[in-house]
Amino acid sequence: MLRLPSVGRALATAAKSSMARNTVPVRAASNMVEVFVDGKSLEVETGTTVLQACEKAGIQIPRFCYHERLSVAGNCRMCLVEIERVVKPVAACAMPVMKGWNILTNSEKTRKAREGVMEFLLANHPLDCPICDQGGECDLQDQSMQFGSDRSRFTEGKRAVEDKNIGPLIKTIMTRCIQCTRCVRFASEIAGVEDLGTTGRGNNLQIGTYVEKMFMSELSGNVIDICPVGALTSKPYAFTSRPWETRKTESIDVLDAVGSNILVSTRGGEVMRVMPRLNEDINEEWISDKTRFAYDGLKRQRLTQPMVKDDAGQLTPTTWEDALTRVAGALQSVQGNEVAAIAGGMADAETLVSLKDLLNRLDSENLCTEEVFPMSGAGTDLRSNYLLNSRITGVEECDLLLLVGTNPRYEAPLFNARIRKSWLHNELRVAMVGHNVDLSFTYDHLGEETSVLKELANGTHPFCEVLSAAKRPVVVVGSSALQREDGAAILSVVSSIAQNARTSSGVEEGWKVLNVLHRVASQVAALDLGYKAGVDAIRANPPKVLFLLGADAGCITRADLPKDSLIIYQGHHGDVGAPMADIILPGAAYTEKNATYVNTEGRSQHTRLAVSAPGMAREDWKIIRAVSELAGVTLPYDSVEEVRSRLAEVSPNLVRYDDVEEANYFKQANELAQAVNQELIASPLVPPQLSAKDFYMTDSISRASQTMAKCVKAVTEGSAAVDEPSVC
Amino acid sequence: MAGYLHVIRRALGQLGGHGGVKGLLVQFLRAADVKTGALIGVDKYGNKYFEDSKNYFFGRHRWVIYTTEMNGTNTMWNVDASMVPAEWHRWLHCMTDHPPTTHPPEPKKFLAQVHQFNVSGTSQQYVPFPTTSKKIHEWVPPKAQ
Repeated sequence: MLRLPSVGRALATAAKSSMARNTVPVRAASNMVEVFVDGKSLEVETGTTVLQACEKAGIQIPRFCYHERLSVAGNCRMCLVEIERVVKPVAACAMPVMKGWNILTNSEKTRKAREGVMEFLLANHPLDCPICDQGGECDLQDQSMQFGSDRSRFTEGKRAVEDKNIGPLIKTIMTRCIQCTRCVRFASEIAGVEDLGTTGRGNNLQIGTYVEKMFMSELSGNVIDICPVGALTSKPYAFTSRPWETRKTESIDVLDAVGSNILVSTRGGEVMRVMPRLNEDINEEWISDKTRFAYDGLKRQRLTQPMVKDDAGQLTPTTWEDALTRVAGALQSVQGNEVAAIAGGMADAETLVSLKDLLNRLDSENLCTEEVFPMSGAGTDLRSNYLLNSRITGVEECDLLLLVGTNPRYEAPLFNARIRKSWLHNELRVAMVGHNVDLSFTYDHLGEETSVLKELANGTHPFCEVLSAAKRPVVVVGSSALQREDGAAILSVVSSIAQNARTSSGVEEGWKVLNVLHRVASQVAALDLGYKAGVDAIRANPPKVLFLLGADAGCITRADLPKDSLIIYQGHHGDVGAPMADIILPGAAYTEKNATYVNTEGRSQHTRLAVSAPGMAREDWKIIRAVSELAGVTLPYDSVEEVRSRLAEVSPNLVRYDDVEEANYFKQANELAQAVNQELIASPLVPPQLSAKDFYMTDSISRASQTMAKCVKAVTEGSAAVDEPSVC
Repeated sequence: MAGYLHVIRRALGQLGGHGGVKGLLVQFLRAADVKTGALIGVDKYGNKYFEDSKNYFFGRHRWVIYTTEMNGTNTMWNVDASMVPAEWHRWLHCMTDHPPTTHPPEPKKFLAQVHQFNVSGTSQQYVPFPTTSKKIHEWVPPKAQ
């Protein structure tokens, strides 16, 4: 529990490396071979490819088909390099180095080979760079400038290929394709859908789905990034902006609980597109389709000015002064627990803490989150109870993964991609208790009844043998499973399974077994700050004034409250919460504020302001600060730094950005969970998102997005049902 | 001498032509000019059209004294050049020498029955509208039942 995170981290890595030294033997010196890159000596491991060796020496070899996270294809031939005293140039991406080789990366022969390959590639590549969406970020453009010949000998006609309709997200201009097959390998290896392939050979080779159909994957947008040319581009982004016109802001995605790192491209106060940002611990370099394409939801159904209900019950626009005075008046007129608040799935930590401080000053403790979490047993008191403790990267080290009542493919697509990666490369065995869903990899389906959990806990299930034989087991329970009436019982029994698995595996103390996979971005921060999970308290004790902070899941309706109660909605979209409100305070969406979010692992990250909030909308914590001043209980912070120092007072991990605070006390949590006096219900464990059509529209932003609506339509009715403007 | 006599005669003519000192002052304040000439015609709104090509050079020899009330608007002190209807416009601007009193204009469908004058600054004025789509579409609250 060191106060200095950097020191703590350094000590932790030191401890980890010392542990690693005990388990994995250090590579023997004989495994290293000496090679030369342009005459400079270099020690690399055996099996290193020529391209990787050059990379290690700081020299980049041009390539199109090679991608670090995909298997090696070696078909573009752009990476040809000369090796001294070897007759032919070799393809650097596929050739392992031999002892004593001298790789010549800039010799006459190498340059001639590159020029030749580039000439062949350009022979069939159209000259439409001025109207190509890849222009400015095109590998072919860049590399032809750097490595191509300075004149053309080409006089023949060019090949043309028919475009394919592979759904409402990806636009194909197949004439531009250079057949690197990165997209094919991405689809089959990372996404796990065998939709894309090649047909024909030679000059007639084509990439496509063979029979026209949608490229059906929740990670499909990533083929846009890996395509080195403009063959696969983004349909919603088509012809909207050029990369050099946009301003890029590094931010965080909040549409699921993974917290993918994103890059928001903006131009003129408008989000033009969202792209992934590298973070090896979370999303590698991929993002899900919802993250990438739901940004047009940020431009629709927005709350741009404060509104109040008039005498006729109609919400009418008003000024901030009016709205804030009314809110403050309402807060002053009630006392104690007559005021309550519900935080939605996209509330940031700054706003959560200011709202909590405000209500606490009014003597109310009625602060809830929309997402339910069992509060009996240890409940949310022990942090390890509600985190994805073994982290997303932990999946790569485990050898058995038990999923309980979750569908990670649609609840957390990047987590599922991690599981698939481990399943593919580390022979991870996956088992599932819950609905039999397509996870893009095979798993042992143990059944969907809760009785299976009980059998697993008391050791009578046949799978227990596998479970007890596991060396590094991980159990992941979906947050939706814990939201049933018997949530506490499920958490208790899952915690027993995890505890038993830990004992039988004999894994070291630092290894975490029990994990909870959340679905909304705000939940962990809210629980860290001491919000109650679930709105039962509000339903049992209906308040006179209810403050909805972006609560759009519809947990509480007008019918649950007394007739004269006042509902205040603060948020950025007119979705479910706003129509039933009496006063609407327009807030900022995640691209419009500097805000802290904590992902399901407990990793706190912060978004950055990419565009300013539309109209009269303001940053959320500032609105609450203004309300507090008018209500006579001024909150003691005036800047985002001061709010963050308040966050640090409440829970220091919230401001240790990109640093995961370890959570512990599994044993104690398990003991407390045993005291839970609740019976399992026999109904099967069915997560709410079963197939792709449930994936696209889950929150107020993606529900407002037309692109996401098109996706749902394409999934249910086929991609031909979505009509697109036929430009180019 | 004769020159001075001419000036005095014109000055007296202007006094008489505008109906005394008061009329002259009103005319001077409304039109900033006190020209007198032959009344060529009066349109149906009451605008009076004058011509004097003997004493004024070409370009200043035809003029209009606006009516004091047109289309329900008081135009005593607030006159506008667009108050001249189309049929008088061509005579006034020397596009023709035939005033509509002697040569009535051919009736055309596009000629307005009631001449509308400038609406700038009023609620009927033309306001250009954007043809690009909005960047942010705001939420419209549902109608209360």
